[in-house]
Order: sequence, then structure tokens, then C-alpha cells
Amino acid sequence: MKRTEDLNYYELLEIAYDASPFEVHQAYKEMIQLYHDDSLASYSFFSKEEREGILAKLDEAYSALMDERKRSHYDQSLIELGILEKATQHQGDRTRVSLSYDAKRFAANTALRVRDRLKPIASSNPVIQEILANDVLSGNDLRKIRDELGISLEEIAEMVKVRIVYLHAIENDQFEKTPSRIFLKGFLRAYAQCMGLDADVVASRYLKRIHD
Amino acid sequence: MSRLNQYSSDFTPHIWPIGGGKGGTGKSFLTSNMGILLARNGFKTLLIDADLGAPNLHTIVGLPNPTISLSDFLNKRVATLEETVLEMPVHNLFLISGARNKLDIANLAHEQKMKVLRAISRLDYDYILLDLGTGTSFNTIDFFTVWDSGIFVCNPEPTSIENIYRLIRSVYLRKIRQVLKIDRFRSLAEKAERQNRDAVVHHPEYLLEVLKTIDPEQGSKIERILKAFQFKLVLNQVRRQDNPKTGALICRIVEKHLGMKIQFIGNVSFDERVHEAVCKKESFVDQYCYSQATLDLKVVIKAITGMREEQAVAS
Repeated sequence: MKRTEDLNYYELLEIAYDASPFEVHQAYKEMIQLYHDDSLASYSFFSKEEREGILAKLDEAYSALMDERKRSHYDQSLIELGILEKATQHQGDRTRVSLSYDAKRFAANTALRVRDRLKPIASSNPVIQEILANDVLSGNDLRKIRDELGISLEEIAEMVKVRIVYLHAIENDQFEKTPSRIFLKGFLRAYAQCMGLDADVVASRYLKRIHD
Repeated sequence: MSRLNQYSSDFTPHIWPIGGGKGGTGKSFLTSNMGILLARNGFKTLLIDADLGAPNLHTIVGLPNPTISLSDFLNKRVATLEETVLEMPVHNLFLISGARNKLDIANLAHEQKMKVLRAISRLDYDYILLDLGTGTSFNTIDFFTVWDSGIFVCNPEPTSIENIYRLIRSVYLRKIRQVLKIDRFRSLAEKAERQNRDAVVHHPEYLLEVLKTIDPEQGSKIERILKAFQFKLVLNQVRRQDNPKTGALICRIVEKHLGMKIQFIGNVSFDERVHEAVCKKESFVDQYCYSQATLDLKVVIKAITGMREEQAVAS
């Protein structure tokens, strides 16, 4: 019996080396059901850190195996280690049509988990709480909060599916580069939610400056 | 030929300790009703109240004042365990009660425990169901490890599942402890705790991992022993809104992370009338033979005996 950290992506997801993207997706969904924070069956079996470690590895495996190029690189590394034979390597799949949908769901699941992880950190961090006590928030305030939480703008952009130029514009107070107010509000809400912050509070206090 | 031989292979255990980590999960209810179903199917079945600290199986099966019990054997008032067996009104069903046990019997000495375990192994019944006490004391765990078989019972609730994991891990740890000599176990535990300070508390799997690195042969031997366990899991008091897959998911977690195979053998539906049947000291499967809970129990019986579903009858 191998430890979770010693399993390769295929072993972790319990799939064959030539599994199709659909099979990878199904296996990932099953595993998430097994290890998710709300899973009644596993919640008391693992500590918080162990669960986060497993979920992070599952995400890593899923993103690598669902991307044809990354999967090919990964398979190559297994071939070099003598774990995988070239004949059993996945040769691409015609059913890739569903991938854009899968990627969206994957991003949404990841965003939820990141939010759950950051929320208690944000609520107990004195620097963040001091910034949030202000009636008005600037882009610089938001960047400071993000720095405190140790999450990159690229990661947020990937998870909330907002173009990074808009997030840069928000943090740099470049209002001329931000989209219309209604879209900006949506982006601010997604950005705040992803960091475990109160989306309404962050959006309304940031937008006050545009009013003024 | 006994009924058992018609269906069971040599590898099918016939002694089934039934335990759960927490009180109120329905162990005694399951033991008594499974016993009745087995007896009604023609199997000579013995129920043993092995909940030494809080015996009450006699009440559930409608025998309020048993005249003899397990402690009469332990105290040598009778020469053999067979002499403590009580015949029940249901044909083919027998009981060893714990009703007259001394109040301090829960702290059974090792010698006495071994005497009981040996005597149970010698009894001639198609099936022997042992209703165990709650918790993870050696007295409970040894009943699981001595025959390498058992039925874990839990409810689809966080507290109950948390305790069943604790019980399963305790059985796992106890088995390793039994195979190794005391000194060897201590040094192994120390090494494993250096790797993970929770090794003996939450992660007995680290012990096996460390053992495999320092003594691969011994490690593989224990791994084989753990894999050979014939454990089952029953999820009791399952309500309509509960996830029916929870039991299977628990078994999957245990197999993936402890390397121990546990077979999920069924959900038994919650039924308010169980309380009524217990209060009236009546058999639930007889009173409500067409209820969902009775049908579920038949599926459980089928998994234990290897019978086909249509062969498992209620009366």
C-alpha cells in the first residue's frame, strides 16, 4: 500500500494509463466526493492538513491529465522512470469537446476550496481586518490584502475566469482600463469572494471612490 | 448436513462479532434480528451477549430473567460454555446471556478472556453472533482479531463514523501488536512516532510502513494478515435523506488508506417502529416482516451466508 504522496496521478485517480479525458473527469469527480470537506464518509478520517494535501494533489493530477500537452510531458516522465510503457500511453482522444465545460467546473471547484481555506485566515489577520475597517477601499488596499493571503493575481484570474488586465487595473486604480460599472462590480465581487472576503462590502467600498 | 454446508465455502467465517464504536448504533437490534432471520432460514444460530459491561440482549429477544449466563462459566459454576446456552422460542435460535454477569466483569482478566474465546471457538453452531460492547477496550477488540472476522455497525452520522474509524484503527493496531513481540512493537512504535507523532494515535498505517522498511518480510506478513480480514460494514438507521453511498465510501477510505478490506453489506433503513418493538420486547422482523428495514436485513443475511436473495426468507 502506497502513501497518497507517493502515488502517481493515475494511481491517485485510480484510472488506467490510457484513460480518456472523460474517464479522468469521472474519476476526479468521484475522488472529490470522497475527500471533500463536506464528505461525511471521510471528514473524521483525515486532519485538515491531510485533506488539503490530498485535494491539492487531486487538483494537480486533474489539471495535468486533462491538458493534452501537460499529460504528454507527464507520461514521458513516467516512461523515463520505467513506470509506464509507451504502448499504454494515452494517445489523445476525440471526445475532447467536453473539455471546456470540464475546465470551468474544475476552476469553480478550486475557487470554492481556495475561498474556504482563505476565509479563516482573512478573518483572523489583523492587517486585513484593519484595512477592511475603512469605509473606502483602494486598489492598493486590495493588493495588500492579497499579499497578506499569499495568493497571486494569476491564480485569482485563473479561478474566477476574469482577464488579468482587468484585475491589474483594479489593483492599480486605473479606472479608465476597467470595464463598465456593472461588470466591474461583478469582477470585484468574484475577486473578493475568491479571497474569502465579504463580496458586497469589498465591491461597495471600492466603488465609492468611483462615485466620488 | 447442516444448512451452513449447503451455501458456505470453507473460507466463510461462521463466528461474527458485531461491534460499533458508539452506543445506540443498533448493535443489539441487528444481532437479535439477524439471529432470528438466520434461524428462520434453518441455520442453527447462537447469540452471545458479549457486551460484558451492559448486557441487554436477553431483553431484546424477550427473555427477561435468564437463569444462567456467561459468568457462570467464568466462575466455574458450570463446566462448559455449552451449559450456559438457553433455548429460545424461535426454532434453531439459542442465547448465551450476560444478564447475571457480575458488575465488574467488563474488566475481564486476560486468562478469562482467552478461556471464553477458546470455548466459543469449540461450540458447534452454524452461526454465532456476538453482541459486543462499545468502545475500543481490548475486551472488545480481541473479539475482532481472534477470528479475523466481524461486522462493524455505524449510523450515517459524523460522531458514529468518527468512532467506527477509531474502532477499525484500534483493530488494525492490535493485530500488529499481536503479531510482533512486545519489545519489537515498542521499538517499532517509537520509530513510527518519530516519523509521524500521531502514528499510534491516528495513523497505525505508519507502523506497517516503518516495519516494511526495517523488516520487509515481517511487514509483508502483517500486510497479508490485514488483507485477509473478513470484515463487513452495516450502516444502520439510514434515513431517506441520507447518502446511500456513505457505507461504500467508508470502506473505500479504509481500503485505500489502511489497506484493510471491509465489505459494505448494506444500509438498514431507519424505522420508528424499532423503538416500539424493543419496548414491547418483540421481534421486529416478525412483527414487521414486510418493512423496508426487514428487507434490508435480509440483504445483510444474504451477504453473510452467501445465500441467494430469494432463499433468504423471513419466516
